Amino acid sequence: MSRFLLVIFIVTCWLLTGCQQGKPESQCERCHAALELVSASHTDCIACHGGDASISDKKSAHASMMGPRNPAAPMFWEKSCGQCHAYQLRRLQSNLMFTNTGFVKNIRLTWEGGSEGLYATRAQSTFAANGEPVELLAVSELDNLAGELYRKYCSLCHVGIESHQSWRASHASGCAACHFPFNDNGTYQGNDLALRGKWPHSATHRMESLPTNDVCLRCHNRSGRIALSYQGLNDGNNGAVPVKNAFPANVISGARNVSHIQADIHHDKGLECIDCHTSRDVMGDGYAYENMYLQTEVACEDCHGSATQRPDVQEVKRENDEAVRESRSYQRQVQLGDSLVLTSKGRAYSNVFYREGQVILVGKRDGHEHVSKVITDTPEHQIVGHERMECYACHIAAVPQCFGCHTQYDRSKTGYDFMLKRETTGRFSEKEDYRSLYPFALALDQRGKIAPLTPGCQTFVTVLDETGVVVKQEYVSEFRGKKQLRFAPFYSHNTPAKAVGCSECHANPAFLGFGQHVVEGQSVESTLLCEQGDELPLDGYMVMKYGTIQPFSAVVREHSRPLNETEVRRALAVNQCLVCHANPQDPIYRQVIDYDQIEECLNRATGIR
Amino acid sequence: MIRLKNALIALLVSGSCVTAHAAHTQLKMATPCQNCHDSVVVGAHATLLCQDCHGADGDLFEPTTIDNKAHGCSGCHKQAEHIFDHAMSTREAEQQFCQRSWSQADPQFFERNCMGCHVTRCLDCHGEGHAINLPDVETCVSCHNGYFVGWDYSSRAPREDSVRYQRGGQNHGQYFLKMRPDVHFEVGMDCSDCHTMTSLQEGKIVARRCVDCHDPDPQVIEHSIDAHMYKLECVSCHAAWAAQEYGSFYIQTRNSSNRDYFRVKPVSDQYVKSAYLKRQDVPPLGLNERGLVAPIRPQFIAYYSEMKNNQPVGEENRLLAAQWKAFTPHTIRRGTVMCDGCHGNARRFMLEPLSRRIYRPDMDGLGLESFWRSVGQTVVNGAFYSPDQFTRMSQKTTEYKRKYVEKWQNFLKKDADSSAN
Repeated sequence: MSRFLLVIFIVTCWLLTGCQQGKPESQCERCHAALELVSASHTDCIACHGGDASISDKKSAHASMMGPRNPAAPMFWEKSCGQCHAYQLRRLQSNLMFTNTGFVKNIRLTWEGGSEGLYATRAQSTFAANGEPVELLAVSELDNLAGELYRKYCSLCHVGIESHQSWRASHASGCAACHFPFNDNGTYQGNDLALRGKWPHSATHRMESLPTNDVCLRCHNRSGRIALSYQGLNDGNNGAVPVKNAFPANVISGARNVSHIQADIHHDKGLECIDCHTSRDVMGDGYAYENMYLQTEVACEDCHGSATQRPDVQEVKRENDEAVRESRSYQRQVQLGDSLVLTSKGRAYSNVFYREGQVILVGKRDGHEHVSKVITDTPEHQIVGHERMECYACHIAAVPQCFGCHTQYDRSKTGYDFMLKRETTGRFSEKEDYRSLYPFALALDQRGKIAPLTPGCQTFVTVLDETGVVVKQEYVSEFRGKKQLRFAPFYSHNTPAKAVGCSECHANPAFLGFGQHVVEGQSVESTLLCEQGDELPLDGYMVMKYGTIQPFSAVVREHSRPLNETEVRRALAVNQCLVCHANPQDPIYRQVIDYDQIEECLNRATGIR
Repeated sequence: MIRLKNALIALLVSGSCVTAHAAHTQLKMATPCQNCHDSVVVGAHATLLCQDCHGADGDLFEPTTIDNKAHGCSGCHKQAEHIFDHAMSTREAEQQFCQRSWSQADPQFFERNCMGCHVTRCLDCHGEGHAINLPDVETCVSCHNGYFVGWDYSSRAPREDSVRYQRGGQNHGQYFLKMRPDVHFEVGMDCSDCHTMTSLQEGKIVARRCVDCHDPDPQVIEHSIDAHMYKLECVSCHAAWAAQEYGSFYIQTRNSSNRDYFRVKPVSDQYVKSAYLKRQDVPPLGLNERGLVAPIRPQFIAYYSEMKNNQPVGEENRLLAAQWKAFTPHTIRRGTVMCDGCHGNARRFMLEPLSRRIYRPDMDGLGLESFWRSVGQTVVNGAFYSPDQFTRMSQKTTEYKRKYVEKWQNFLKKDADSSAN
């Protein structure tokens, strides 16, 4: 019987959704007369919300609603949004922003959390990146400190969970997390008087098919803080100044305040997050990746070309091409015959065109055209050795770095578990040592290329037992079989107009991982120190004593590692040339440098024959 | 006798020296002090009579204070009282700075926020009660801590003001960041080894400068460059780091629960203090009073806000001063930054190009286009380096190129023996 009812319900929903006219007999509008339309194609209340539009009594009419606030929440989305948008829903269900598999995996790696199996926000059978079936286990079953840390700290930034107590960082759950944005305090401010001022609700009832930067900022204001850096904001020292109207200015969730830094050049030119990031980046492509850098398909080279290869292009040849469908809500829709630039995974962007030899990115929301500078074959990008660099090793200004994360786990107190939805034994709290934006260390990333690093993480764990007695103090966990701190390769989304100069990087050993320092003889003395060693930098991963280089921290991610001695010496040796050959376009850098020539070269340069 | 002792104690507690004096005069001169007092003097003064410090009549109850000009001490320690004529007692520089800055907004600012460090008696530095001794580094840093030079000597830098950063080692009630200590501290030198009592009494900052003990080795590449030797203070290269605070905010709060939103260390009932940005790397360089290149740092870029009943009073974030000081970080190491740490490093000389800014205080309404540009800022005891001087200094002359290459070659050679130099 219930199955029969369900079929009826689904059929009704389908009929209603297909219908472009609001039902004249609907009682909903009696109370919600001024409620905004979701969109021109989403006009029927019941199709999305459930409930009974024929009943005028509020309670009875609402009784069968989904939510009733948010029918897009994961517990309803199969019956609501997913009824029409099955393709998007299936992708989202394997998407890292929903599964958080990467979060959990990385936390386990660095919190001695075991390595068996992959966890997600809920158990599910899906498909891995290689197309093979994969079982994701429920993180609520991960019964160790790593699982608990995720559930009590990290899980609020998860599109499956509603967060409604964070200033500027609250969001709905499910599809609505991005498509029905909350305002700063999660309060409805639309036209419907029955709802106005109610919390927690989206700011209005109008759907945002193309989410703004502010939506991304709801979650990406922590950890890497890329949504902040991109827009020129810095979650700096939590100093709560300057002051505005007798409050700390620019407050953001968690008693933090942001201050201004120079924004990313792409932001200054008017590009929004979604102008670079494809829907497959942010909503997934149907496969369950293990880390966001594997799911992400956008790369700098897509639009700007690599040193040797211009951007890849493909013509739209079918009327139902993915890009045609995706661009329906854009200012500029993709049409048959358009030439589209391809992502690093070989799939077409729906807003980057190739026209008359130019790469042109068109703003999805505003339709503005931006001509992309292609760097292929330019001499400054042909430097021998620099083929191993990520673009953003040089094209970066600020890298948010939080040094020393001192986490306390106190079993004499309770903490709220957002996944289990109850208080359980054990409360986490954090203190920190120092934050900085510049300089930053470089090392090898997951692609084997040289990239900026940020601490990821320098965690020191203190554990208190049920009676409040310290049983573990400032403990450094094991990573790759050794107690060591960790750094993570990172693109901070703060690309300046001009790349860092050659000497600015090569002549400052801080960029090679030594932290702030002085040089004495053949030793580098770090000056900001880790509390657990008298020689170890807090803001670096490497020491150099009498010419011998010794990394003491790991670089997380597969294929990643600290720079080795040969690489460090090679990067520093070129200073002997840079003092005269300061121009990166100088042909000497397009071949391997023979340092045996230095003396002769110098004699020539200084007039000694 | 016990009754007499109690009476004396009562008199002493009442705080009236005149009454106590009267009480002592009634005693027979031969009455031993120990009949009433059980104080035991330890250290160098153990062999002295009570009267040697407390006066023939025993009526100098506070022999070391500014009020009686350290009369009990100055008999032997000639001119000891002159200490009260100088910086540590008068705090003239600090008072003058306040007059130029925060006191413009709150005339009582100095009294409200700056009374903690003030030498008023010899015993402030020379021990407790009758255990008189010489001050060590820890004694000095009971005042010379936090942002002030002294803490740096013993490897401490101030932490951020937010409660989130209040952790780690503590000293005199403040948490600090662990830094590389000064090389002189490492070998056990006390502050007084350079800052002698005589020099302090004379109102001098220091008795011995670097070159009074050190003869710079001309074999060292940097020492072989004349301009370095004639135009630079030693600390310009040898100060390894320094505490720098960019934007010091004092917020006066009256009947305002909003002060709780500023989750920073409390300063007083009336004030909340925070900073916009702190760093502790190598400080910028400018010119000092002697016209030599020297480290400089903000002291202070002072902002003031006021609130009453949770409402702002007057303009918020008033920039009252943007003043820098040429100074001597006590973070001396044998090593230095490499050549590019100064040559061609415009930010280091307060000449950051607008196009290379990272921090944008202007966009936060702080009235400065950059912390590392001289526009709107001054050096109170020197000057900023001029663009011309910087361009000249950054020229890659033949000599520069040669020495530059030599410096890198020396750094990169792998030879354990050479590291000793």
